[in-house]
Amino acid sequence: MGPQSPFAGREALPFGRRQRRARGPRLPVIAVTGFLGSGKTTLIRALLARPEGANTAIVVNEFGEIGIDQALLRASSDATVLLGNGCLCCNLRTDLQETLRALFADRSRGAVPSFERVIIETSGLADPAPVLQTFATDRALGREFHLQSLVTLVDAVAGESNLKRMAEARKQVALADRIIVTKGDLAGADATRRLVEQIAALTAAPVEIAVNGAVAPAFLLDEPSAPGRRFDLGGTAHTHDLDGIESFALTFDAPLPWGAFEQAMAVLTALRGPDLLRVKGILAVAECRGPVVVHAVQHVAHPPVELEDWPDADRRSRLVFVTRGLSREPVAQLLAAIGAVAAAAPGGS
Amino acid sequence: MAETAIWNFRQLAHHELDGFGGIGEGMSIQIAKDGRRILWLAHESAPKNFTAVDVSDPRAPKIVARRDLPQSHMRSNSLETVGDIMAVAYQTTHQGLQPAGFELFDISEPENPRSITFFDCSGPNSRGVHQLWFADGEYIHMSSGAADFRPTHPKDDQFYRIIDVRNPSKPVEVGRWWLPGTREGDSAPPPVRHPENADTGFRPHNTNVYPERPDRAYLGYIDGGLVTLDIADKAHPKMVARWDYHPPYFGFTHTVVPFFDRGLYIVSDECTRTEGADWPKLVWIVDGRDETNPVPISTCPLPPLESYMRPGARYGAHNLYENLPKPNAWKSDRIVLATYFNGGLRAYDTSNPYQPAEIGYFVPEPPARAPSGAIQINDVFVDERQIVYTVDRHAGGLYTLEMDF
Repeated sequence: MGPQSPFAGREALPFGRRQRRARGPRLPVIAVTGFLGSGKTTLIRALLARPEGANTAIVVNEFGEIGIDQALLRASSDATVLLGNGCLCCNLRTDLQETLRALFADRSRGAVPSFERVIIETSGLADPAPVLQTFATDRALGREFHLQSLVTLVDAVAGESNLKRMAEARKQVALADRIIVTKGDLAGADATRRLVEQIAALTAAPVEIAVNGAVAPAFLLDEPSAPGRRFDLGGTAHTHDLDGIESFALTFDAPLPWGAFEQAMAVLTALRGPDLLRVKGILAVAECRGPVVVHAVQHVAHPPVELEDWPDADRRSRLVFVTRGLSREPVAQLLAAIGAVAAAAPGGS
Repeated sequence: MAETAIWNFRQLAHHELDGFGGIGEGMSIQIAKDGRRILWLAHESAPKNFTAVDVSDPRAPKIVARRDLPQSHMRSNSLETVGDIMAVAYQTTHQGLQPAGFELFDISEPENPRSITFFDCSGPNSRGVHQLWFADGEYIHMSSGAADFRPTHPKDDQFYRIIDVRNPSKPVEVGRWWLPGTREGDSAPPPVRHPENADTGFRPHNTNVYPERPDRAYLGYIDGGLVTLDIADKAHPKMVARWDYHPPYFGFTHTVVPFFDRGLYIVSDECTRTEGADWPKLVWIVDGRDETNPVPISTCPLPPLESYMRPGARYGAHNLYENLPKPNAWKSDRIVLATYFNGGLRAYDTSNPYQPAEIGYFVPEPPARAPSGAIQINDVFVDERQIVYTVDRHAGGLYTLEMDF
């Protein structure tokens, strides 16, 4: 309900109530991707064994995959089993959307214990893009759930080879918010270091090396900080790979007029939507007091969220693009041109 | 649902108040002269009157004072503080008993509350004061009986009274209002009673007055619905509007909180019966843009009755956080915090008032001494640090929380 609502009040809030963070009150979802054998199940089981992992709903393709200890089961139905630690585990039904809808409804009516986050273990070869899109709009799951992070596991034994040979492996890394390198103990320090360098060429996402298959729970569970922190100087952090997947960041010193930004993104999406693998950013918007978080996957844009405050001292707009066959320059020029047109437009017309 | 269910709140502490964890509807913050933050709590029933808890560190609340009631046939239930003055309501179990009225205390030393005066509201047809509103340091607005008030029906024994306490040692009544027909001698006919098993009286519960509209009083009038009054002339309050939605709904309209900037009223019912006998008891969103014609537009969504119905326990709406017009109280004209007995504390975003959205809940595990074996969350207060205080009606005492939505 926008500012034109009769109940909007005096304060303009074009994107609704300001939120403490991008997820607002929505349930955070953490999607874990990675090839078969990369250690997804081990990682999730290790989290469930920690107090920080309590109140988690896990969505898996098959119960067998997560390897639930029978002693942990308290009750079961066709679709859901209750674990110790206040957690539950849920079989993926026909699709992710239906599974999560059913889970949310069961939670609302008290049919399953309350949970405060969802972890999805994707199947090994999954392209993460459809999972990202599932959470993008209100019509799908965007009203109840927020994809907090896409976490990709790369195992140090097979990862180097997978990343060289398999486009899906590279895409999983390029789109990820966080990367976890597993099996470093088996591969050895040198191989692990080489893999980390290989990953850094594909993405600026933070990388953590698992110990005995586990990482500090915060790395998995905390909301990622503002995008672009590590490469806010733009072109210097430009990455690309064999498939033409590139990632780059743009920054803007002056606040952006929302209408102009929206138009620029509409043009970009109309022309190159399928190649905009992921766009995320935090913007200083001329009409807003707080920063505005934006997120788009290919042709689908999440509803923008205005935050109460900036996450750090940097007040510049920052946008991160992961694209295929689309380089930084034309995107920067388009945004600059539309920004310039907006800036030159006569006020009050 | 035996384990704590929590979403978008963080629990900081739980204090069972040393075995006297039954708290009513009085929760008020005082900043003591030495800087301590004291939360004053009115007990739901005898033998305790009130308890003061130091919540300066909300992770480690500490009891600093506690008083017993003088009689077992009375309860305090409601209190408010302004500066170093505290007003405490006294209601007796039956009409004609004493002490019935309110007491003012000097709480400048929180460990040693000293009585300033007692304002007597007892009478042959009075149980005294059920609830009082004291926010400006000058007037108490309350639901009370009086010695000279003879209701047309014994259940209509309380009405709206305004008491000038600018001289705390000599409170003086300056105005009163009752629903026409509820006092003997009225020219209006008595109101049509609700069915016998659901007749909870035509009398006010909460009587809220805010500085944004000092000429208005917002009353939850129990079986009479929502009532707004023009109190520009305190000696002669006049009704502005009444919205009465029962029957078909069960009565007991409890609280009216205006969201002034947005033209909305948030209205709560009180669930007063167990096992869902008066289901549904709701929090209503009411379009108040035309104050002469309040229009309900939605209700806050609730889990179904089966989710939280327990033998001997209530599940349904009760108190709202009331945006208290005081410096140490949080203000929001978008978030509703409401207590639902066994449904716990629940938070809603009313940004789209046609579709209020649940954004958090806190349903603690049943307290060890709970008589029904269920939690019965009764009231909620939020201070300007955005620390949430919520209390159990019977045994659980005080829970401190952070909002995380």
